Amino acid sequence: MSLVTLSEAARKTIKLAIRKGADQAQATAFTWIEDLTRFANSQIHQNVATHRDGLKVRVVLRRKIGDAAIDSFDPRSIEAAVGSAIKIARVSPPNELFKSLPEPKKYAPLKGTFDSKTANCNPNLRADNAKRAIQIAHKKATLVKAVAGSYMTGSASFAVSNSLGVDAKAQVSLAQMAVTVISERQGSEGHGYYSAFARSMKDINVDEVAEKAADKSVRSVQPIRLEPGEYEALLAPDAVSLSLSYVSNGFLGSWFQDGTSFVKHNLGKQVFDEKFSLKDDARDVATLYVTPVDGEGVPKRALTLVKNGFVDESSICYDSYTAGKEQKSSTGHALVPFFEAFGTGPDLVNIVLEPGQASEEEMIKETKYGVYVSRFHYVRTVNQPRMILTGLTRDGTFLIENGEITKPVRNLRFTDSFLDVYKGTQMVGKDRERQQLATVSPLKVAKLRFTGVSEQ
Amino acid sequence: MLAMNEDLLKLALQTVQKLGASYADVRYIQIETENLHVKKGVPEEIRKGVSSGIGVRAIAKGAWGFAGTTVLKRASTIETAKKAFKVALASARAKKSDVKLSPAPPKKAKYSTPVKKDPFKISLDKKIEALKAAERAAAAESTELIKTSSSFFRAHRERKLFLSSEGAKTDQTIVWCGGGVSATAIRSGDVQIRSYPASFRGNFNTAGYEFFESLDLAGHAIQVAKEAVQLLSADKCPSTTTTLLIAGDQLALQVHESCGHPTELDRALGTEADYAGTSFVTTDKLGSFRYGSPKVDISADATTPGGLGTYGYDDEGVQARNVPLIKKGLFVNYQSSRETAAFLNLPQGSSGGMRADSPLAMPIVRMSNINLLPGDWKVEELIRDTQDGILMLTNKSWSIDDRRLNFAFGTEAAWLIKNGSTERMIKQATYTGITHQFWGSCDAVSKDDWHMHGTPTCGKGVPSQVMYVGHGVSTARFRNVRVGIA
Repeated sequence: MSLVTLSEAARKTIKLAIRKGADQAQATAFTWIEDLTRFANSQIHQNVATHRDGLKVRVVLRRKIGDAAIDSFDPRSIEAAVGSAIKIARVSPPNELFKSLPEPKKYAPLKGTFDSKTANCNPNLRADNAKRAIQIAHKKATLVKAVAGSYMTGSASFAVSNSLGVDAKAQVSLAQMAVTVISERQGSEGHGYYSAFARSMKDINVDEVAEKAADKSVRSVQPIRLEPGEYEALLAPDAVSLSLSYVSNGFLGSWFQDGTSFVKHNLGKQVFDEKFSLKDDARDVATLYVTPVDGEGVPKRALTLVKNGFVDESSICYDSYTAGKEQKSSTGHALVPFFEAFGTGPDLVNIVLEPGQASEEEMIKETKYGVYVSRFHYVRTVNQPRMILTGLTRDGTFLIENGEITKPVRNLRFTDSFLDVYKGTQMVGKDRERQQLATVSPLKVAKLRFTGVSEQ
Repeated sequence: MLAMNEDLLKLALQTVQKLGASYADVRYIQIETENLHVKKGVPEEIRKGVSSGIGVRAIAKGAWGFAGTTVLKRASTIETAKKAFKVALASARAKKSDVKLSPAPPKKAKYSTPVKKDPFKISLDKKIEALKAAERAAAAESTELIKTSSSFFRAHRERKLFLSSEGAKTDQTIVWCGGGVSATAIRSGDVQIRSYPASFRGNFNTAGYEFFESLDLAGHAIQVAKEAVQLLSADKCPSTTTTLLIAGDQLALQVHESCGHPTELDRALGTEADYAGTSFVTTDKLGSFRYGSPKVDISADATTPGGLGTYGYDDEGVQARNVPLIKKGLFVNYQSSRETAAFLNLPQGSSGGMRADSPLAMPIVRMSNINLLPGDWKVEELIRDTQDGILMLTNKSWSIDDRRLNFAFGTEAAWLIKNGSTERMIKQATYTGITHQFWGSCDAVSKDDWHMHGTPTCGKGVPSQVMYVGHGVSTARFRNVRVGIA
């Protein structure tokens, strides 16, 4: 659906809700197009084209709230959804913590976020890119056994209106490629991975993605076993990004209010090293999901999460509901509708780590005896206030000795407080990579505690 | 309404067959949801949703294509069918061999979850009142220390009509619901949570509102809050190697992660390598690998009454079955699809495990109910028989490597066992191990507390899909387990 159609659907829904007696109403109409070609064992095995429309309506009757969601814009469905939301609100107890839907605020639209060629990519082109990645990886070495991954193109569009006058819209095209290469020598496998995220297909360098994944895979075969313990560590951007997506939960208004956020217990303190500065900025084109407004139509702006290692109350992000609980204003972090799988509260999807000065080579050179981590896998929070995370390394873990990568090592399990890990930041890389939810550089940390070794 | 959508499905099937697809199947799905959440006395979430659409899957030139849409009109149905065919032709540009499907008799059948009380027909008032009562009871335990108390209800109804070019037609209505209550106690930066009947919003069964009522959240809320407060003063789990008893609300996830996912044949064949990973249970191990001790019997049973992974037919029209995966510790079967079963020439064909989480998603191999069959013990006997050990309850964190070998779990609570009785509560309990060594150390499984646990949020696939699956488990005992890592 075009942005115009989405806006019309949202506005019509609001009008209908007010006509039916709502004091306030908000509607979000969206279209998510995801065309994805997936390959494994060096051939395409899944290939999908999906088109999802959706409309969410929220009505407020005094402080009673009703929410309903549908996936159609036809008038009968909209009428049913509005009716359902009003019915819910009527029988709901009042939510005394709810203050109001957000007031309208001016925002500057973002240009250049949508590329129609990417949004409407032909499946043959995706298939040819998959085929090319497979060929390049196999060309790398005869020990490359299998290539897996995906090439995705599509778009995300939404329009949001509310009865107080909010009337906003945003659209972004998306192209993503991920390649996993499996190599084998004498029964020992080595895995390598690399990915690229962009808003235009032309920014996805298929050759580079496949080449880098194949390189790590070939270098990962016949790993040695490294005993668990504390090691210096060089975390590649993928590993930094995944760990930050967990650490960043501490900046959510919902966690802060529940008392589970590490920020709550460290207000005004230097939690991380002074070289560690973090922001969330949906207007920074270096991030993937750039949008001028959030899911409630509140203008997006940069929010400093960590300044030279320090955190305080201004580090916390809010949507209008969580902000209202503290008599504050929304920071523009209501989730956009297609991210609802992440939850319903505020969230951070445009995290940016301030880059440093060092190249990855320099960081390796400065490591005496440590571990190079390409990726983390299956990370989970063990302790929220201390931000103790556990997880594993994956797809390229190497031993660094006297400033050189010397050997591949078996995947390791880590269990450590990432407040401590990033307090020990020694070097921040200068070369940033755009990951799905964060744009980050590699980090060298003084220690990461490994608590186990994978068997294979 | 369903008849109209059957016409659209027939139209999609005809369209894609006319274009030259050698096989095709089409699904119409309508999903209704209801989510209720009361937190600190406030209705934090009262949300209803309805979604529907059509998914078309086709084989052309020996390769798969799939397209889905939420626009239920003739023109968009035809366009979606054409797109699925076009995508299949594109897939054929990078194929090594043609897709083959194991035979499956085309079924014409109906299935409905047995429901006594339709959860969508119970008034919102009544449901919210039940949640408020539970949340109030938890909050009242300690106004000083219980900082957050929550109660949850969730219901899901899925109407699914499936047609295939082989003549199958299945019509299913699957209903599930459930909920839970939790309390978070905080003191000086120490955060302790307890939940009932399970963490992460509770337990869910394919059943009607009678299941939610049977949970009696309000009746358990006080104990939940008491334990959360007690944990604040508890000692930390020691770091040692010991005998570990695991209660069902934790063991369900252990089974899920270390037995369910590794025995999915698509993982073993490498088609999930780019995301969640592969499996250590490689195909050469089928029928010969010792997965666990002789006390360990695990099955994939899509017919278990009440199981969250219980259905009539999978999304390839294959009838739900009970498939033993591990028999007396020996690995004997995979969970499979028609394509993966054909790849391994499995004589029994597909295990009936193909499911998609929406009409817009292509089905992939999914757990149904992965059940650890009950043993001979009573829980009381198990504890009495343990001289020195730890009993862990209720999952808090979970992590496992990309081949499903090295795992680490954390639980909300644990009890030290000394001389055959639970001595005192301990906190920050974690344990870790290697899958087959861990299951090899299982020396006892209880029978009296065996019941179905539902996991409604199992993620898999690219694009990511979230599926509801079940686990029938009871308390079990494991020897020489490393605990206290965090």
